[in-house]
Amino acid sequence: MEKVKSLVYLTAGLFTLIIGFVVYFVVLYRNRQLKNKQQREKQKSVFRQELLKTRIEMQDQTLSRVSREIHDNITQVLSFVKLNLALVNTPDEQQRTEKIAESRELVSQAINDLRDLSKSLSHDHISRHGLVKTIEAEAARLNKSGIIRASVITEGNIIPLGEQRELVLFRIFQESINNALKHAAAKEFKILLQYIPEMFNLTLEDNGSGFSPAEADKGEGSGLKNIENRAALIGAAAVINSAPGKGCQIKISLNPLNKDHYPDG
Amino acid sequence: MKKGDRFFFRNAYLAGDFKTLSVALIVIIYLLLLLSVSIAGMLRYQQLGPPMRVLAWSVVLVFTCNVLNKLFSVWYHNNAPILHIESIIEFIFYSWVYYRLFKGRFLKVLVLVSIFVITAFFCFNAVVWQPIGSVFPTNIYLPTLSLFTIFSLLLFRQMLLYPLKVNIVKQSAFWFNTAMLFYATTMFFNLGMTNYYSQHRWDNYIYYFWYFILCGFHVMIGIALMTDRKETQPYT
Repeated sequence: MEKVKSLVYLTAGLFTLIIGFVVYFVVLYRNRQLKNKQQREKQKSVFRQELLKTRIEMQDQTLSRVSREIHDNITQVLSFVKLNLALVNTPDEQQRTEKIAESRELVSQAINDLRDLSKSLSHDHISRHGLVKTIEAEAARLNKSGIIRASVITEGNIIPLGEQRELVLFRIFQESINNALKHAAAKEFKILLQYIPEMFNLTLEDNGSGFSPAEADKGEGSGLKNIENRAALIGAAAVINSAPGKGCQIKISLNPLNKDHYPDG
Repeated sequence: MKKGDRFFFRNAYLAGDFKTLSVALIVIIYLLLLLSVSIAGMLRYQQLGPPMRVLAWSVVLVFTCNVLNKLFSVWYHNNAPILHIESIIEFIFYSWVYYRLFKGRFLKVLVLVSIFVITAFFCFNAVVWQPIGSVFPTNIYLPTLSLFTIFSLLLFRQMLLYPLKVNIVKQSAFWFNTAMLFYATTMFFNLGMTNYYSQHRWDNYIYYFWYFILCGFHVMIGIALMTDRKETQPYT
């Protein structure tokens, strides 16, 4: 009877041990889930804040460009029209006709420029036209302005990467254009968009003065740090290659299917 | 009274042999449970993820082995060959489920190596130590049950490292792993105690305990097959 008792105790002990272990595991697992949820919420909040910052920066940049365009271009054209119209009072019929025709042409040019500006003012351009079209439009505008020669090459089948990711990528593109114009005094800017299965690469290359990466780390490299941080925010990797006198190349790579690091994906 | 008699149950009842009767009833209940789990697995096969598809097939094979086991017992009074085959089939299939569930390369290699080593050991054991035609393969069960315990603990660790948003009781991996831990540890204990039971003539206790473990194990496997969803299964 004693032996039966000890056998029963032994068996019961084993079962209790297994059940206890499983219950302990479940409790531990739920704690982990809760911790992960909190981390994810925090990550989401940081992501939203960064996204908002990106939007504001984009709007700022667009507004300053519009202001510059109005000041440097449209105002000049309209002033010229005003001057022309002041000369319409001339008794020479042919000269008057010429001035009116010239003014009409200038007003038409101003209208076109204003139309282009109004298009670029619309902040949902990316969501409506996608990253490739928006970058192409921006490159066309840069080429038209004559300040830099921009070329866009797209490889593979274009797939949407998600509005927020495309917004961040476009902001990275804007940041690198700014760097190329302001700091590197570049004359050429190459943009390569590669849509490979399960991989997207955005390569931005200028022929400017370049810089030493070690120097950039020490000093005023906040623009480049921003690019790296923003890339990390959407689960992408940023590789920046540059050397003094050899321009700069920025390569952003991301897996469109991987949404682990992308809270709103 | 001979098993396989046409009137086995009636004769056992009339003879007042309730021990034999209860064991036979437990076996029937177990076989019905296996059949239900096999059918459930096959009916849900298209919705299952790769690991649980392997598990569904393993249940079908275990059911087939168990039916053959009973038939061999009745026809030839020797079910050792089937038990040998069942032991290695169980090990390969359950290990393959673990192979599909583990994320890390090291763990996957560990599973593959263990399948290779145990299969080689099985062949050697079936010829030399515990002949396939006559002896129950305890030499196979002891290392495989130990490996299952290790695999289940490793999978629990992996689950803690990569928790999912889904409630744990709705995760097939949890049910499968709990079933394996329960089966491996209790069966190990049962095998270790077999001689002790025999010495004290508690043969029926072995049967009850054995089938209690198997029924509990397959109930949990059934839950794993019923809760699995291909699209929410993260471990592939």
